[in-house]
Amino acid sequence: MTTLSPLIHVVDDDESLRTALLRLLDAAGFEARGYASTGDFLLQPPPDRPGCVLLDVRMPGPSGLDLQAALRCQSNPLPVVFLTGYADVAAGVRAMKAGAVDFLTKPVEREALFGALQRALDRDAAQRAAHAEAERLRAAFAALTPRERAVFDRIVAGQINKQIADALGIAERTVKLQRAQLMAKLSANSAAELGRLAERLQHLPD
Amino acid sequence: MGFVVACCFLLVSPAPAGETRHVLVLYSNHRLLPANLEFEAGLRETLTDSTELSAEFLDYPRFDGEPYIRALALFLNEKYARRPPTVLVVGGEEALGFLLRHRAELFPQVPVVHAAVARSFLSSLPPLSADVVGVPIEYDFPGTIDLALRWHPQARRLVVVTGTSAQDHAWEAKLRGEISQFQGRVTVEFLVGLPTDAILKRLSELGSDAVVFTPGYFEDGVGRQFSPREAAQLMAAAAAAPMYGPFDTFIGTGIVGGSMPSFAAMGRQAGEIANALLAGVAPTALRLPAIMLPTAHADWRQVRRWGIDASAIPGDAVVRFKGPTFLEAHRNEAIMAAAVFLLQAGLIAWLLVERRRRRLANLAVQQQRFELAHAARLAVAGELTGAIAHEINQPLGAILSNADTADLLLTSGADRRDELRAILADIRRDDLRASAVIQRLRALLAKHAVERQPFDLNGAVREMEPVLQPEARRRGVALEVRPAATAVPLIGDRVQIQQVLLNLVLNALDAVNGLPEARRTVAVSVERDTDHVILVVHDRGHGITPEHLPKLFDSFFSTKRRGMGLGLSIARTLVEAHGGRIRAESGLGEGTVFRVEWPVARGAGTPEPA
Repeated sequence: MTTLSPLIHVVDDDESLRTALLRLLDAAGFEARGYASTGDFLLQPPPDRPGCVLLDVRMPGPSGLDLQAALRCQSNPLPVVFLTGYADVAAGVRAMKAGAVDFLTKPVEREALFGALQRALDRDAAQRAAHAEAERLRAAFAALTPRERAVFDRIVAGQINKQIADALGIAERTVKLQRAQLMAKLSANSAAELGRLAERLQHLPD
Repeated sequence: MGFVVACCFLLVSPAPAGETRHVLVLYSNHRLLPANLEFEAGLRETLTDSTELSAEFLDYPRFDGEPYIRALALFLNEKYARRPPTVLVVGGEEALGFLLRHRAELFPQVPVVHAAVARSFLSSLPPLSADVVGVPIEYDFPGTIDLALRWHPQARRLVVVTGTSAQDHAWEAKLRGEISQFQGRVTVEFLVGLPTDAILKRLSELGSDAVVFTPGYFEDGVGRQFSPREAAQLMAAAAAAPMYGPFDTFIGTGIVGGSMPSFAAMGRQAGEIANALLAGVAPTALRLPAIMLPTAHADWRQVRRWGIDASAIPGDAVVRFKGPTFLEAHRNEAIMAAAVFLLQAGLIAWLLVERRRRRLANLAVQQQRFELAHAARLAVAGELTGAIAHEINQPLGAILSNADTADLLLTSGADRRDELRAILADIRRDDLRASAVIQRLRALLAKHAVERQPFDLNGAVREMEPVLQPEARRRGVALEVRPAATAVPLIGDRVQIQQVLLNLVLNALDAVNGLPEARRTVAVSVERDTDHVILVVHDRGHGITPEHLPKLFDSFFSTKRRGMGLGLSIARTLVEAHGGRIRAESGLGEGTVFRVEWPVARGAGTPEPA
């Protein structure tokens, strides 16, 4: 999964500019693909590989901001770098609030563009890593038996073994056993670590 | 007639004979002689009102000779037998001579006052009886000549003109006798008995070294009759040198002046004597001056004309035609007239100032309208900055990226010449693209003088498309531009018409703002019928409420929150300045159609088919 190289999606209606951007990214060693409109991009769902979107704001049909909103609905949204012909403050604020990595204006300096794209790719990688971690955690958690989950809930609630045993109507020894089993499944070494894990589980993206 | 005579008789006859005051004046010459008129005026003003005045004229020298004289005496005798004069005044030497000859048969008891009789003439007569009295005069020829020479010290020639009648010869003789005293001072030339034409010609050829003296004449060298005054008038008009004469009556004919007793003074003197006699004073008891003293007379106009030193004119001189100045004579009228003139001048000046002010104001208004139109264009351009920046930054962005790419390719050392060439071609194309946008923008925004030139409306609309489309795109509106099939000629200012289009399209874009996509359309079309060139801007927006329609083109009317309400007002001004009109049709919910119509430009018209 991590072996895949990132792909940059360039969405701009201006063919001349799009060509120039693709050319530049290619020369700089990036892999990039161009789309003439928002619709064009949506019709060709990008392969599941790391990357980001270099997006024009104003385009015929749905705008870049519309596309950004659409992307955010996806489970693993590609980070967006805006590249606009006109630095419209309102559009810029909207884009940044919606999580854009950067809001660049044309003509853009090579370093600024590459910097923004790199940050977008980094964010994508981080997102992907976090996503993978969460997946792993979720899978581990899903592997707990109902009894182990009940014990887990009480451990993170701060109860000691005796209290748990009393509450669940089982022997304290059984509680100890299940506690060891769930800590092994969740790769945790202490109750504190379990607590942090519970915290993270609560905040996992869907 | 008989009745009138009877009436007169009835009125006059009852008066006692002794109380009838009847003065008969017997003049030597004819009745219209200026000397006689002046004399009579002086006489009349002096005589008491109740005095009856009769006048008879010998008409000498026009009529002369024994039979005439006899007949005249007979006539007077018969005429005045019933109404004899109480006092007889004789004016002039001939009249005195006539009277003395016929007194016994005519008016033997009537006292006689003589006037205008020269002392020299009296001395040639036998002594007058005691009841013939008067103040003799002296026609002052030498005094007049002396005056002339004093007033013209530069004069070296004295030209003397006389005529051919007996009186003329008498004057000539008198002159020849008196002239010798001036011989040393000037050379004297006599023009005697010449035809009037010749005299006038000679006088007109005189130079500034001459002065002319003349008593006038009754008859010239070819027998033409004149009054001396008429002769003097002709001569004065022709003379190229100042002219002098010895008679009061000459003043005003164009002579400069002379030393002379005035005929009016003579008339007054005679009147005073007559009054005394009528009052019963015995003729012998009268104390009369020995002579009518001459005084210097001058015509002020001639004094000025000949540049005579005013200080040489004696203080007691009679200066005529100087009189009261116009202002002195008509002070009130002059003030009134001046006031009227001043008022009028003031009024005219005020009107001129007003006119100038109005013209300036018009110019200022024009200038302002022009400035306003320009300001409106700038304001619209402000609205368009986004679209414009986009249009320019797009090619600039492409250029920069292409340049960066080329840089990277060159740094990498790989031989990718073809790609570099393609990049350069793209850079070039994008550069031109950006520059075209800027040029269009400059044409639209530059503060240019208003032009009146034929142009193609189609072309003007197409030119605006690159400015309008990006803005429409930015606002997510489909803008459709449909030019007419053929060129549409219009005369005027291309940029102003483009401004109108810009205004209408921006309004239309506003009108469809926030509507579903299907209704976010604006169509611009150029049409043409036989008489009109038509520009139509159609949007599918909400439409305009009926109560807003009439106010649409008013200044400062706006339904937009941020609108100034000047766009359509300026658009209308610009359209009307091109002889066109603009109107809006709108149905609520159906959108709005703005139609701008101009009459077809004749003459400047359609391009000639080649």
